[in-house]
Formats: sequence, C-alpha cells, structure tokens
Amino acid sequence: MIRVHNVTKEYMQGQEKIQVLKGVNLQINEGEFVAVMGPSGSGKSTLLQLIGGLDLPTSGDIQINQQSLQEMNEKKRTIFRRRHLGFVFQNYQLLPTLTVEENIAFPIHADGKIRKRNQRSITNLISEVGLKGFEKKRANLLSGGQQQRVAIARALVNHPSVLLADEPTGNLDRTIAEDILRLLLTFNRKHNQTIVMVTHDIFAAGFADRIILFRDGVIEKIISRKDEDYAKYMAHFMA
Amino acid sequence: MLNIWRISWRNMTTHKKRFFFSLVAIIFGVSFLTAMLIADRTTSDVFRYYENMYVANADYWILSDEHTYSEAEVSSVINNPEVTNSLLALDKQGFFELNEKRTLQERSVRITGVSDQASSLLKLPVIEGSLDNQGFVIPKAVAELLDKKVGDTIAIEGLGTAKVSAIVEYTQLLASPDNWEDANSTSFRIMAPLDMLRKWTGMDNDISYMRFQTKGDGEELFQSVQQVLKDTNMYIQPVVADDLQSNDIEGLYAFFYVVAVLSICISGFIVFNMIYTSVMERRKEFAVMKSLGYLQRSVFRLVLVEMTLLASVGTLIGVPLGVWLGDIFMATLLSVFKFDMVYTLQWELPIIIASLIGLIFPVIFSIFPSFVAGKTPVLLAIKEANTNQPTSHRFLIRNILGLGLLGFLFVDSALSYIAILIASVLLFPCFVRGLKWVLKPVLELLFYFPGRVAVKNLDQQLNRNANTAAILAVGIAIILLLGAAIESAPKSIGKEIRETYGGDIRVTSESPWTQEDIAKIQSYESVTNVEPLAEAKPITWKTTQGEDRQFSVFSVNRNGPSLLKAEKSVYTKLANQPSVILGSRAFDEWGGHIGQTIEMNTPSGKQRYEVIDVVNTSHYSGYVAFMDNRHFQTEFGWSSAFDILLTVNKQTEQVRTELWNDLGDHLAKVQTLEEEIESTTSAVKGMNDLILIMLLLIILLASVGTANTLLMNTLERKSEISTMRAIGFTKQQVRKMVLLEGLLIGLAGVFGGIIIGALLIYVTSEWTFMEGFISFQLPFVNVILAMIAGVTLSLCAAWVSSRNVTSQNVASSLKEG
Repeated sequence: MIRVHNVTKEYMQGQEKIQVLKGVNLQINEGEFVAVMGPSGSGKSTLLQLIGGLDLPTSGDIQINQQSLQEMNEKKRTIFRRRHLGFVFQNYQLLPTLTVEENIAFPIHADGKIRKRNQRSITNLISEVGLKGFEKKRANLLSGGQQQRVAIARALVNHPSVLLADEPTGNLDRTIAEDILRLLLTFNRKHNQTIVMVTHDIFAAGFADRIILFRDGVIEKIISRKDEDYAKYMAHFMA
Repeated sequence: MLNIWRISWRNMTTHKKRFFFSLVAIIFGVSFLTAMLIADRTTSDVFRYYENMYVANADYWILSDEHTYSEAEVSSVINNPEVTNSLLALDKQGFFELNEKRTLQERSVRITGVSDQASSLLKLPVIEGSLDNQGFVIPKAVAELLDKKVGDTIAIEGLGTAKVSAIVEYTQLLASPDNWEDANSTSFRIMAPLDMLRKWTGMDNDISYMRFQTKGDGEELFQSVQQVLKDTNMYIQPVVADDLQSNDIEGLYAFFYVVAVLSICISGFIVFNMIYTSVMERRKEFAVMKSLGYLQRSVFRLVLVEMTLLASVGTLIGVPLGVWLGDIFMATLLSVFKFDMVYTLQWELPIIIASLIGLIFPVIFSIFPSFVAGKTPVLLAIKEANTNQPTSHRFLIRNILGLGLLGFLFVDSALSYIAILIASVLLFPCFVRGLKWVLKPVLELLFYFPGRVAVKNLDQQLNRNANTAAILAVGIAIILLLGAAIESAPKSIGKEIRETYGGDIRVTSESPWTQEDIAKIQSYESVTNVEPLAEAKPITWKTTQGEDRQFSVFSVNRNGPSLLKAEKSVYTKLANQPSVILGSRAFDEWGGHIGQTIEMNTPSGKQRYEVIDVVNTSHYSGYVAFMDNRHFQTEFGWSSAFDILLTVNKQTEQVRTELWNDLGDHLAKVQTLEEEIESTTSAVKGMNDLILIMLLLIILLASVGTANTLLMNTLERKSEISTMRAIGFTKQQVRKMVLLEGLLIGLAGVFGGIIIGALLIYVTSEWTFMEGFISFQLPFVNVILAMIAGVTLSLCAAWVSSRNVTSQNVASSLKEG
C-alpha cells in the first residue's frame, strides 16, 4: 500500500543545510492504523507531508498503491491526492466561507461535477460523523470537535486509499479527542480505511495498530499491538 | 526602546509585495496630481504669454470706428513728450497670388502694414529670418501651407510682390489658418512694412490704428486724448491683456482639479486599505509591544512612521514622473487647439505643492488605522480573540443611510453630487452582494467549482472588496460624467449658436458697410434678409475689483437679429435708458449684481451703464455686452457696422462665391453658421481624447487598488488556499479562482461606475443651474472603454495575486496556518 524507500529530506535554513529525514524505510499495509510519534523536530510531520505529496523527498522514493509520487508532475500529484488521499489537520483547516456540506464535498467538486452517488455518499458521511442537521451551517461557526468531524468527513469523501492525519486531536480536550479517535477507529475497522496519524499524544497513539517512533530523522522503533512487549513499552512511554 | 524607524523599515521590507502596491498607488497618485498641477499652471502661463505678446510694451492705442483715419490726426499724440514710443498700423485686405488653383476666399489675406516690425510695441516670436522692415513677416502656419522660406517671394494680387523677411511662431496678431479648409472661412494674416503697403494701396496718410507707450501710467494723457476724441470717429483705449473673448477654458481648469483630486483620493484609499489590513494582522505584535511598555502613542507613531517612509519614497519617484507626464499631457492638450502654440513647462510651484500633498495625504489616510493600532487591546489581541462587533446591524444602517442619501437625486443642488457619491460608497457592499447573486449561476456554469468558491470568497472581506470596487466605480462615474459633458457640449453649443448667431452667414468687411453694398447683397436671389451688425471693439471696462478687461459691445434691438436668449421685455427695458446686458461669462468676470453699474471706456469717453440683465449668447462664448442700438449710436458713440448677418434660402456656398466676386476688395471674412459651430466645437471634440486617456489612467490607478486588495486577500488566506491545494485544488484551479475574484471586483466597479455615472449625468441634466447643457445620455464610447479597461486591468491585477498565491509552498503554508 504505502512504501517509503530510503527517503531523505533536506532544507536550507539560511546558509545551513538541515537534514530532517535521514534514509527512512517504511511499509504500511492496507487497512492499517499507524501512529507516528516523536519529539518536536524529529521529522514525523515532514514524513506525513511527503507521503501526502505536498512536498517531494530530496532522495529516495515513496509509492502509494505502486504509484511513485516523484514520477508525477505537480498537477498529476494534486489529482492523485484529491482522489486517493485524505487529509486531517490539527487546526481543522476548513474553508470558512463554505458550509459544512460544501466543505465536505470540496474534493469531489474540485474533481468535476458532483453526481447523485456522490451526494448520497456525502449525506451518509455527514450522518456517520454525527453532523446531521448541520449541513447548511457555515463551518467556522461550529465547535472545535464538530469542525474536526467535518474535516474527517471531507478527508473520507472520495473514499481515499489513505487517510493522513496530522495531530488531529492536538487542539481538542481529552473527551472530544477521544470521540474523534473513536471515529477514526470506526472508519478503520468498519471500512478497512488505512490511516497514518502523526501525534505526540501517547493516548491517541494507543488507538493505532502500530506505532512508529521517530528521533532525529530516523525511525527509532516500530512497535505493534501484536508485539509481546507492547503493553510494557506503552506503560514505559506513558511513565 | 528600539529605534522606531528601524522597526518600521523592517516591517516594510518584510512585506515587500504589499508595500510595493501601496507604493505604486502613491507614485501614480502623486504623479497624476503633479501632472494636473503642471497642466493647470502651464496652460494659464501659455495664455498669459500670448496675451503679453499681444500687449507688448504698448499702453494705449487709438482706433477708429471707420476703417482708417489720417496719420495727421494723431501727430500731436505721437509728439507728446509723455509718449516714449509709437507704432502706426494699416490693415488691408488682399489675395495671395498662387500657382495652384484656389478660390478667392481661400486666398484672402489681411496684410497689416506696420511702421516698425522690430518695435517693442509688437512682440513677434521670430523662428527664422529677421525683422528688417524690408519684406513680409509671416506666421509658421502660412509658411508651411504656402511652402515659403525666408527669402522666397509672396505676391499679393493687384498690389505687389515682396520677399519673406521672417517666419514667426503663433501670435494673436497673425493668427492664421493652417489648412485650406479653414482658409475658406478665415483670412490669413501677414505683416508688411507700412511704407510698402501704403505705396501699394495709395493710402499714403492713412492708418488703421496707432499704438503708443507712455512714460508713466499715462492716465492724464489718456483722459485728455479721450476728451479730444469724444466727438470724432476715433477713440482711445488702454491696451489690456484679456483674451477671455477668444479662450473659454475655465472648464478646463476644473477638469484638471477633478482628475487631480480623484487620483490622490484613490491612492489615499489604497493606502488606507493596505495600512488597515496591516494593522489588523499585526494586532498581536502591537499587543506584545504594549505589554512590554510601549504606549498607545508609540504604537500610533510606529504605524505613522511606516506611512511617512512610504509616502516619502512614493513622492520622490512620483513627482519627477508627474513632470514627465505633465509634459506629455500639455503637448496633447495644446494640439487640441487650432493654433500651433508653444509652451514652457511650469513645474516649480506644482512640484512643491505635489510634494507636500504627496507627503501629507497618505499620512492623513493612515491616521485612522494608526489610531486603531494604538488602541489594540492587549489581552484580547494576545489571545487572538475577535473584538469586532457583529456587522449585520452596521450593514443595515449603512444601506438605510445610502438609500436615504439617494433621495438627493431629486434635489436641485450641487449637494446632490456629494450625496450620490457617498450613497454609492455606502451601498456598494449591498451592490456587490446583489451582483454576486446575479453572476453566481453564470460563473458556476462557465467555471464550475472555482467560480462558486470565488463568489463565496468575496463575502470574506466584503467591505474591503466593495470599497475597492467602489473606488473604481467612482473613478469611472466621474470620468463618464466628464465624457457626457464633452459629448453633450457640441450639441448644446451648436444649439446656442443656432439660437443666437442672428443669421445664416456673417460677413465682415474691412471698412463699414455702405447702403450700396447692402442693396447689392439684398439683390442676390438666395439672400432673404440682410441685417447690419454693429460691434464696438475693443471696449475696455473695469471689474468690480477695479481690474481692466476688454470685450465687444453689440448693438441690438427688439426687431433685429436674435443675438441673445432673452425675453422681448428686456429689449424694451434696454431701450428705456442707456444700459447694458452682459453675456454670462462677462457677468461672472465683472463680479457685480444686476442693477449695479459697469464702467467702460467708450468712444464717447468714460461711461457707467446699469447692468439690467445677464444672458446666454454664443458670441465670444458670452464674454460680451449688448446695448440698445439707439443708445449705442448716441450715448456710446458708435455708428458703423463692419458686419452684416445674412439669412439665405439656398446653399451658402453660392452666396459666399458671389460675395467674394462682387465685394472681394474689402471683404475680411465670410463665415457661415455651420462653420462657426464647427470651429467652436472642434476644440471640445478634441478634449474627448484627453478624457479617454484620463479614463484609462484612473482605471489603471484603481486597478493598482484591486491588485493590492486581492494580494492582501490572498495573503490573509494563505493557509486556507494551501488547504484547498492540499485537498485537491490544482494550481490552475486556484489561479482561476483568484482571477474570478478579481473579475468580480472589476465587474462590480465597472457596472457600479456606469450606474453611478448615469445618476450623476441625470442629476446634471436636471440641474437648473446647468440649463440643459447636458442631456441624459451615456457617452457610449467611454462606457465601452471603461468596461474593457476596467475588466482587463482588474484581471491583470488579479493575475499578479494569483501568481503570488500559486508560487507558495503548500506544506510550509499549512504549518503557518
């Protein structure tokens, strides 16, 4: 499903070259819920942006469904993103002038004319994320939790291969965060939705099947729910 | 505390693009202002220059209401010890002898023989040759049309041949047509040595007038000569520099100032928009500064310093650009006039005024945003809480106020203009919403989703977008009003000329018309009526401020030709006592009230006449006076008529040919009603080109505002646009969306401008003060040009912003968001 092969990413900061990712290799399978954790500046968000095609690696290769992102030009990459990837951001990033329904339908609209089956899918999604009755409301008038639900629905509206979530609960309190995480888990379990979630919150990471720990641009450790030392490691991490 | 100038400078260099557009707006505004101020001063300087050339060093002149008088009659004046210099002149009508076939009227030339071509009582701007009193002095227009150079000879039919001694620039004394078409109705003018002309004509002792210079003001001599000449056919007049009879350009100055004020207001608004947005964005920064000890005054100063820096740079670049623009504008403007005038650019005072305004005006426009910056609430701003009040209430009040002010449409006052402009600005957000609603289906159909998002985005900064469109609209509206005035003017002027010309053809003779001549003309088959027209000129008079002016006084009577628009009862009143009616421009210049008396130097000496009315007339654009014909002869002392007005029932060309064939030896001018209309309106028509250029410049300036607004809109929505890119909008779709936002602002500006323009034209057409000068019709060429230029330039402005927004890095913009 997702194959990250020997990926590096460098930035120029003034005259200084900063290497954010140093040869990352990773494979994520279909239907997996993966959490990427690590301290600030470890490269976890950069990895998510590279998987999302928002930026290109300095070297290495990223493939999604056997399609290399580097080999696509910018327009193709955008269209690929629109059709195969969904994004959820920490600060929701809803379009304030659009209604809930319009925000959710944005990727479909951007792809061309909306069809009846799309409309059905939108209605179902609104219902699934618990926003029935809010369809015609301006997105920026909703609460934080509701806005994030809109963002999740928007990310899933095109039935993407992968849902990429960057700190989706970072701006929410624990109760609402839990609701959002349960919602993500539901989609993962019910629709076999592949999810890659960047978080610094061990509580959020606890919902994932696998946790990838980053440090200084390299993967320090990958632990799976199936691993024997999972519980021990999590307890250690939380402590 | 950090150096405030350094902080301001850093902020400007950090937000280069935003400040760049504001800088461009200031540069444009200041340069247009400079150009208009220069045009104003240079134009008045040009006319002053030609007036002074006409006056030269002469203080007085002695003329006659006959064609000529004997030189001996003025010998006592010439020899008076008070007189330091004198010049004798004799006018004679003749015809050029040409190799090519031309009609008599085309070849007609008035030769002025002068006793000394190099006299200081004449000012002849020589281009080539010298004033040697040996040959002709001809103006450049004649030299070019006849293809003559210095040293070539010119032959005058039946008189003689002489060489060309000098070619001169345009001067009022030698004003000549520069093409054969105009030559049909206007004589050429050249200057010859007096002795030569006398020899040719046999008029050995005759002169037409004598100019002289006195030691002091010569007032005593003037009064004594005036007394001596009181009962003769001669009269004395001071030489006065007043060419208002030939130049009706007051409207032009108003035009300059309208454009200048408009330009500086538009650029001021752009500055306001930019600085206000900048202040809103930096609220947190100001709050932090205040929490660390900055006073409200310090923050206020910080923003003002930024504006001062920007205004200084803008003025520094804008003023020289304006001087260059002013030069181009003057060249275009003077080419509109019939004569080949020269000018010296008057830039000194305009650049001082423009620099001051350029420095002060943007700062004034930034006072309110600076005040808002100073008032930033520390805690709320740091928390980034929205302190804005709900706007729907304000929106409602704004619309009610706007609609209320629109009621001024039906008020017959100049206040209506201001009320309509304010109402338009107030109602513009509502108008933009309405237009958005109308255009939404079209844009969705044509551009699909980017069209829909663009329409929605307009709401995000509705007031800012509406104000941007409003400023474009106001610019277009005012230019459309000026265009309508220019378009209506020929029609209105033509109508006025038809009503007050007094006949179909005006025939001017170099000597007074005799009964024999009149009988001859009456015998023409095509002529149905002949009316003598007595015009006393030049007659000097005093304004209520005591300034000397000069104009013509016409003799009128109840049954004579209609020279003015007035009730018949006015003629009766005029006949009752020696009194005058003034043309509207003369009345304004005089400065008095009806019932007061005006002082004139008449052929019968100094007189005061009651002004009994003010009228509209086409003669000298209203810079004239009228007197009853009986009093004109007895009290005023003028009995001759050099003009006659003919009413004809057939083609005028046939009559013209007959006149030149029969009376050519003393005809000076034959002008038809249509030619008078054409010559009067040609300059006005030429002005329309200038109006179109102004329209383009104003739209260009307003488009800088559109670019600025769109840039700010997109900068503010950087994160939002990056989200769109992240979730599926391609670069092309984003670009299309921004272009459509620009298009909507442009369309709102253009359509709004046309509507406001139509309202302003309506108010003007209904305003009693304008007396139907403008009819209610849109100047279609200007409207089409406004639509094309408004939409194209708005799209260009949007293209700049769209390029900026698509070049942003999506990942980093999302991080910032």
